[in-house]
Amino acid sequence: MAKINIDGVQNVEISKKIPCEKPIEQQLEIMENYTRTYQKYIDAPKAKREIECLKTIYPILFRSIEDDDLIAGRLDFLPIGFGAVTSVGGVGHYCVFHKLRAFKEELPQSEWARVDALYDFWQDHDVKTLYCQDILNDTTTGRFIDCTYPFMATARLSGMILDYQKLVTQGINGILHSIQNDQEDPFIHGCIEALALFKDVIKAQIELCEQAKKNKEQSRIKQLEQMQDDLAYLLEHKPATFRQALQLFWLYALCAGCINYGRLDIVLGPFLKRDIETKEISEEEAYDLIRSLWKMIENRRTTVNGRIIVGGKGRKDQEACDLFTKLCLRVCKNTRYVEPQFTLRFDHDTDPEILDMAYDCIASGATYPTLYNDDVNVPAVQYAMRVSEEIAEQYVPFGCGEFVIQGKSIGTPNTLLNLVKILQLALNQGVDPMDGIYKAGPVEVKPLASFQTFDQFYDQYKRLLDYYFELSVQAQKHSYTIMNQEVSFLFNSILMDDCLGRKKALLDGGVEIVGGTNETYGNINASDALYTIKTLVFDQKKYMLDQLNEAALANFAGYEKLHKEIMALPKYGNDEMDCDELANDLFEYIAKGIRQKGIDHGMDYYLIVISNNQTNTDWGHETHASLDGRKKGVYMNPANNPQGGNSKNGPTAVLNSLARFDAKYHGGSVQNIKFTPRMMHEDQEKVKALFKTYFKKGGCQLMVTVVDRGVLEDAQIHPELYPDLIVRVAGYSAVFVNLGKDVQEELLSRTLYD
Amino acid sequence: MIRLSNIERFATHDGPGIRTTLFFKGCHMHCPWCANPETWNFEIELLHDPKKCTQCARCQIVCQKQAIKIENGKWRLQKKQCDQCRKCEEACLNDAITFSGKEYSIEELQSIVAKDRDFYEESHGGITLSGGEVMLQLEEVKTLLKKLKQENYHIALETTGSYPLSSLKQVVEDVDLFLMDFKHLDLEKLEQITGANGAEVIENFQYLAKHYPEKVILRMPVIPRFNADRPTIEAVLDFAREYGIQEVDLLPFHPLGANKWQQLDRLYLYQEEPMMDKEQLKPYIELGKKKGVFVKVGG
Repeated sequence: MAKINIDGVQNVEISKKIPCEKPIEQQLEIMENYTRTYQKYIDAPKAKREIECLKTIYPILFRSIEDDDLIAGRLDFLPIGFGAVTSVGGVGHYCVFHKLRAFKEELPQSEWARVDALYDFWQDHDVKTLYCQDILNDTTTGRFIDCTYPFMATARLSGMILDYQKLVTQGINGILHSIQNDQEDPFIHGCIEALALFKDVIKAQIELCEQAKKNKEQSRIKQLEQMQDDLAYLLEHKPATFRQALQLFWLYALCAGCINYGRLDIVLGPFLKRDIETKEISEEEAYDLIRSLWKMIENRRTTVNGRIIVGGKGRKDQEACDLFTKLCLRVCKNTRYVEPQFTLRFDHDTDPEILDMAYDCIASGATYPTLYNDDVNVPAVQYAMRVSEEIAEQYVPFGCGEFVIQGKSIGTPNTLLNLVKILQLALNQGVDPMDGIYKAGPVEVKPLASFQTFDQFYDQYKRLLDYYFELSVQAQKHSYTIMNQEVSFLFNSILMDDCLGRKKALLDGGVEIVGGTNETYGNINASDALYTIKTLVFDQKKYMLDQLNEAALANFAGYEKLHKEIMALPKYGNDEMDCDELANDLFEYIAKGIRQKGIDHGMDYYLIVISNNQTNTDWGHETHASLDGRKKGVYMNPANNPQGGNSKNGPTAVLNSLARFDAKYHGGSVQNIKFTPRMMHEDQEKVKALFKTYFKKGGCQLMVTVVDRGVLEDAQIHPELYPDLIVRVAGYSAVFVNLGKDVQEELLSRTLYD
Repeated sequence: MIRLSNIERFATHDGPGIRTTLFFKGCHMHCPWCANPETWNFEIELLHDPKKCTQCARCQIVCQKQAIKIENGKWRLQKKQCDQCRKCEEACLNDAITFSGKEYSIEELQSIVAKDRDFYEESHGGITLSGGEVMLQLEEVKTLLKKLKQENYHIALETTGSYPLSSLKQVVEDVDLFLMDFKHLDLEKLEQITGANGAEVIENFQYLAKHYPEKVILRMPVIPRFNADRPTIEAVLDFAREYGIQEVDLLPFHPLGANKWQQLDRLYLYQEEPMMDKEQLKPYIELGKKKGVFVKVGG
């Protein structure tokens, strides 16, 4: 088989990364050293190879402490190294080929051969490449992100949210003592070595603090000494203070390559409460520490991640957790960062003061916190993931909105489906009209004239969907097989139930709940297109199905009157029963279909997520005109929101439509709504009632952008005037002016309520 | 059947809480600042947006009554010839032609307003009948109100008060809140400029104030060169206090209806008038306090 080259963009990257601090020559040496080590241990047990490779990047890639850092821990990454996710480096032993090429350009030509050698070597060893080699093909399955396919697949370990509570309550030595010293077991041996390496990282921070003292004022030196004392303490003890717990958590997350942090109120709240009670620190000092954490997270610039979750069910010391939550809300309101993605879980018992603070924060334009309704989500997760209520209470959204169980499950979205493209295969006998390529595999796709009823056509679409569901689940599972074949994810395994107890690496049978998610795109375009077909062809009998399809194939040129007729039909998002029901029917078919595939293939859960980063826009560019009236190449609808401009009955109507999908069939879905500051402030009580009612009606989640009319348009013309204008794209926030023009246009198309 | 120009869900300026507002077609007044001029005519009416029109003449071709003419670069409608067949609207690919006015059965309206019932309950909102002048469709309105009342909605009626008291008496029990337009105390001026029957306005107001003062909010659109001066506003506040009315809403002038005047091919006298700054009216909040009347700026 021809070698697949996966050189190219592999994740959504809006925020500009901070470049590595090391001189370029040293960066090259580190990557060469990493590669040599990999080669040396190529036949060693994977855990051994992993830890030896990790030693070549930790602690050396930690960078200097900055002047206002109150905790230590800044980590660079290079085009070659070890990681879990594509947002910071790559997965397992990785090479990000297009970044390596860019790196090469910065070197003198005399050194290029050294880089070429690395490039060539990793073509055969990069974990993702190995995966792609097995899974990608020329018709159905593309690399993430190559939007010419109906289906994209990738290998990554996104959304790892570890059991940091275990870390802060046991400390490093506590965990070490709990591991049976089984030197024969390469995995356990690797874990012990990983914790030893973690101590080396801590020691290195002490040295970095020392260096940071140079030419500093006494007050800063005192801060750095405090940090050094805390770090030294953590080497042999479990954390005793809030600051120590925060420090330990942060360094560990960095070493594990984790970019979503989870329920920090549970992890840190009790320390905070104790410190405040004993006057170890004041609330203002705690505020400053949290603010410092916010900045550290922002500086990692992972674009769609950085989740901190507070609030909700399943918290033992609620008072302590709420104390932490309130400080976070203050920090969030006073900063203008796109990360962390600050997330509030709430239920009917949530302290009204917290809800009011959250509202103020949103109304101020922070786009945060994003709101998750536990009264809906906990029972939904319980059903979706087939877990107990107690476990479901520990659900956490990561990235753009997928759920995992903190410390207990993996749920990485390694598969993505374009529902519009698949519908177009049903309309064109398996051929994608965008490129004329047949993409229906073995599915028999009948000519349009053979469909006598809507259900017959719908069934044809469903057969194609079934085929793609099967491809998806196999691709998802294979990503675990390949990652497990290559690496142990030692740092992740240590804090995930029950890898240590089972003495098995994360993907080797270690993790308790093997889940996964499938991002579905164009959900509403597809259902609105089906509604057009049902109404105009089969109910009203005004057109033949092939007439509609011809119009779409012509991108509606010459069919303007028909296009107008299509646009005038009811659309999802307007609280119109018929088309909302069809949208729900399609949603349930897909959600249940994917979920059942997971069960049938022995996964604990495999669920769709209706989130999206900007893939709705990127994929829309490569998707032909659709029968909801969307023109060729235009962005697809965001998440499960209506296509921009199609919701015309106001926010109650759109929220009624949104609340219709039953949350128990998906693994996270995100809802965006946009208001003016005027409305958020002057009609505050009404907007609060609006949100409250939506949540009572079964709304699972909501994200709010607050922006004035005309501001986004002006920011397109004068980007320099809007450096901190933050908008909610879908599953993530971004500085508006950093987005591509196409994504900006998609945001502008969404209805703004005033 | 009830004829409406528009239904607005999540209406936040027509009474308390989250509301659905039904805009009735037909009004016998003709306030020159009106923000909803498409409600004046009870008949279904064509609106033509010259900004969207490319003069492609598709509308002209399909019009069997020859009501549409494009001459010398101007699009013209002979209103008398138009029979509202709406073929031109269908033919227009630029959405330049729309029709204002749609008939609804009481049941249809019941089902539409029911969609947001949960939002009303949470926010202490409800349904507002507005217009136009709602009372011009009295018989249908009476039935609608009875039905809505049976379903326990909070109902507000926004009204000019310019009709016989006998009409008002037929609906008063089924309305929870009257948003009474009150534009001027100089009745001669009121009649001259707006076409209202001043005596009826006062009589209806006095009746409500006497029997149901808690059901009345006075709403005064504050219009430059008509009633935006302090003596006029103060007189309305005094009048409200005299009759024991608790709340007066001052609605600052806005020109947001200008486009609709243009689309109806009517001359809008306030074309050049800028939006009134709310701050300008804030001093009346204090003044109201002194007088014992709660003054709100905005609806």
